[in-house]
Amino acid sequence: MANFKELNISPVGRVEGDLDVKVYMENGVVTRAHTQAAMYRGFEKILVGKDPQSGLIVTPRACGICGGSHLYCASSALDTAWGTTLPPNALLLRALGQATETIQSIPRWFYAIFATDLANKKFASKPLYQEVVKRFAAYVGTSFQKGVTASGRPVEVYALFGGQWPHSSYMVPGGVMSAPTLKDITRAHAIMNQFRNDWLETVWLGCSIERYMEVQSWDDLMAWVEENESQYNSDLGLFIRASLEFGLDTFGQGVGKYLAWGTYLHKDLYQKPTIEGRNKAVISASGFWDGERYYEADHRQVMEHVKHAWYENQADALHPFDEPAPTGSTNSTILENTNFDGKYSWAKAPRFMEHAAEAGPLARVIMNANPANLDHQIKDPLFADIMKVKGPSVFTRSLARVHEAPRLYTMINDWLSQIDLDAPFYIKPEEKDGIGWGATEAARGALAHWIEIKEGVIKNYQIIAPTTWNVGPNDSNDNAGPIESALTGIEIEDPHDPVEVGLVARSFDSCLVCTVHAHDNKTGKQLAKFKL
Amino acid sequence: MANVLWLQGGACSGNTMSFLDAEEPTVVELITDFGINILWHPTVGLEIGHQVSDLLNSCIKGETQLDIFVFEGSIVQGPNGTGKMNYFADRPMMDWVRELADAAQFVVAIGDCATYGGIPAVPPNPSESTGMQFHKKNKGGFLGTDFVSKGGLPVINIPGCPAHPDWITQILVAISVGRIGDVLIDDYHRPKTFFSDFVQNGCTNAVAFSEKVNGNFGQKGGCLFYEVGCRGPMTHASCNRILWNRHNSKTRANHPCLGCTEPGFPHHDLKKGSVFKTMKYLGFLPKETPPGESKLAYYFKAGVGKVLGNPESADNYGKSK
Repeated sequence: MANFKELNISPVGRVEGDLDVKVYMENGVVTRAHTQAAMYRGFEKILVGKDPQSGLIVTPRACGICGGSHLYCASSALDTAWGTTLPPNALLLRALGQATETIQSIPRWFYAIFATDLANKKFASKPLYQEVVKRFAAYVGTSFQKGVTASGRPVEVYALFGGQWPHSSYMVPGGVMSAPTLKDITRAHAIMNQFRNDWLETVWLGCSIERYMEVQSWDDLMAWVEENESQYNSDLGLFIRASLEFGLDTFGQGVGKYLAWGTYLHKDLYQKPTIEGRNKAVISASGFWDGERYYEADHRQVMEHVKHAWYENQADALHPFDEPAPTGSTNSTILENTNFDGKYSWAKAPRFMEHAAEAGPLARVIMNANPANLDHQIKDPLFADIMKVKGPSVFTRSLARVHEAPRLYTMINDWLSQIDLDAPFYIKPEEKDGIGWGATEAARGALAHWIEIKEGVIKNYQIIAPTTWNVGPNDSNDNAGPIESALTGIEIEDPHDPVEVGLVARSFDSCLVCTVHAHDNKTGKQLAKFKL
Repeated sequence: MANVLWLQGGACSGNTMSFLDAEEPTVVELITDFGINILWHPTVGLEIGHQVSDLLNSCIKGETQLDIFVFEGSIVQGPNGTGKMNYFADRPMMDWVRELADAAQFVVAIGDCATYGGIPAVPPNPSESTGMQFHKKNKGGFLGTDFVSKGGLPVINIPGCPAHPDWITQILVAISVGRIGDVLIDDYHRPKTFFSDFVQNGCTNAVAFSEKVNGNFGQKGGCLFYEVGCRGPMTHASCNRILWNRHNSKTRANHPCLGCTEPGFPHHDLKKGSVFKTMKYLGFLPKETPPGESKLAYYFKAGVGKVLGNPESADNYGKSK
């Protein structure tokens, strides 16, 4: 006899706002999952009628862990709307802000948010469990403090140019506010060197950055792990071995379609910012990959669905430029009482070419493997191979996230050395009405801002964050969002401690504290509810 | 030893991210060396898999001693006062907050949203957000004017968007080691130790302020008060005394102070012409002037200073590298 269960877990995610997940189980397998973003602030609505530059102050505060990424978008949206001219130094300093924020997030995410789950008792019978607990247990793990402390270093570089992290507004239309001196550049190099010596090469890789970046395929990676004791026993080596031993490569596949806006506008290729010119100017390539081929990341292919989102007075499947400022519904419910045929989340459901798409590091590294990438763009075939050999999973997604650290380190050093202290950092723009679009890759994926300025104030401001792509609810055709899809089909060993759900949600690094509710599929009886 | 419970309402987690950058002490040292026991925190909670609602109820019933209740983010009261726009553990967060604030020895509001309502409370305030004991400049907020926690203090406000990690850790340590009596608070419930001075104290462009040398974006030196809306002269905070991320501050990076430790932030509710621009009378007199003297007296002194002073021109000012 089939055993139907329903699981509500509470919370899973861990950065900002709350996410509730409800899973329905049958014989221990998830048959259906719904994600419910449980908090609304209405930042887009607040921006309407305000000073056109308000987004520079307001949007970084949408998410404290991705504030620099919001700023990158907000300044870029104004650049395209006003038709500014950007000096190369400004593009370098903005890229540095984006890159240092992202590399900060890698150890912070790995140690504070993800790896503590590997120390869950579910894995207690595995041979590597003791070693994992010794290193990754919260606070007391031997690598935990090193990793969390290291994560604060790269944002010191951000602060050198932006004044502070989080929540600077140093990127402005026309360039940046700061005008660094040689002292700042030298100090930034020194900080990054310390980051490399204290954590990246010593604790994390167990080898030089150059050696790690020779890895081109899954077989190369496996050979790298086995190459010597230092790599085998590094935190990355242990993470790979434990992931395979614990089976993290066997679940959490997702929708199999990926979107990246790309980022790091090249210093010489975006001095006249336009919406159309952006894709060719980014160093980390943009694109949409449907599992077979690559498509151009054209923002006009984005539509937001609200059939299942608590917004009113809004037609379904609109492009952000055509959307009204969101009017929050007064009829929101809690997950236990929700009818999933109706509205059930504060997140909208964005779709690209009508598909749900996963945003995040995995999408980025898939775009990096596009053979059509231009000479100034990253070319890294590794994840084309991994997607072929292993496919997507909790492990693949997590590996993509940490894989970026060595490359980011080298790019940050290169960009620091390219700053020309005698050249301008800012060219004062002329303010005017118009429409603009700014995008980037936040640590957790594709982020974009759409702005319309009319009569000198903001008429419309729309933000689609990576977490919107990943945690969004069903669309108007009732197709599941990426996390909903990734949860479907997973096996939950112990419905009273559904760590598998937590691992899936955290592999997406959703910036929401996530609550999971488990329910019996037949009786609807709640079995368990956990904050993870 | 102090049990700390940290919850987030209408929050961006910026204060948590700031907290994780703490240096002396680090977050880990706070726990291992300073007797802070984090009962639960959305990002770094030790109690993985713990049923948090049971824990919260245990705090409310007094079964678990709640020494410090830290709240980050606005109190979301929408729609129509129900609080349903921010659900947590199957209840409106605001209902948890009210009961936990009553159970706690001390209540600490961290960041602008929790202290004064912050950006979410900017009109039209779609989520009906407010602060713990203030709504913008007005006392009251969610818990009301008369609220006093069991430890005998009103909500201790640590504003800033975000708050500096040292402001957070030092107050937690003060409570934990029994020295909260040494922490005096001002009219906006801010610990005076961090919020008596102005941001301008220690600003590397302070000389340019007194000599009326204009600064602007992308250039070295010059004061940002005159053209791009710096609020350093009228904002209480120690940003140039206790630097950010070890190295810097907004004004030292040529970034105008946004005045984010004052209850008016974001000032003028972001109205047209108020963002990164100094609002002026007659096109040249700053509408807001440093406190301590009348506007007229300031204009007079500033005018005389501008004529008599012989500052280097803004073009050459500080142009070294």
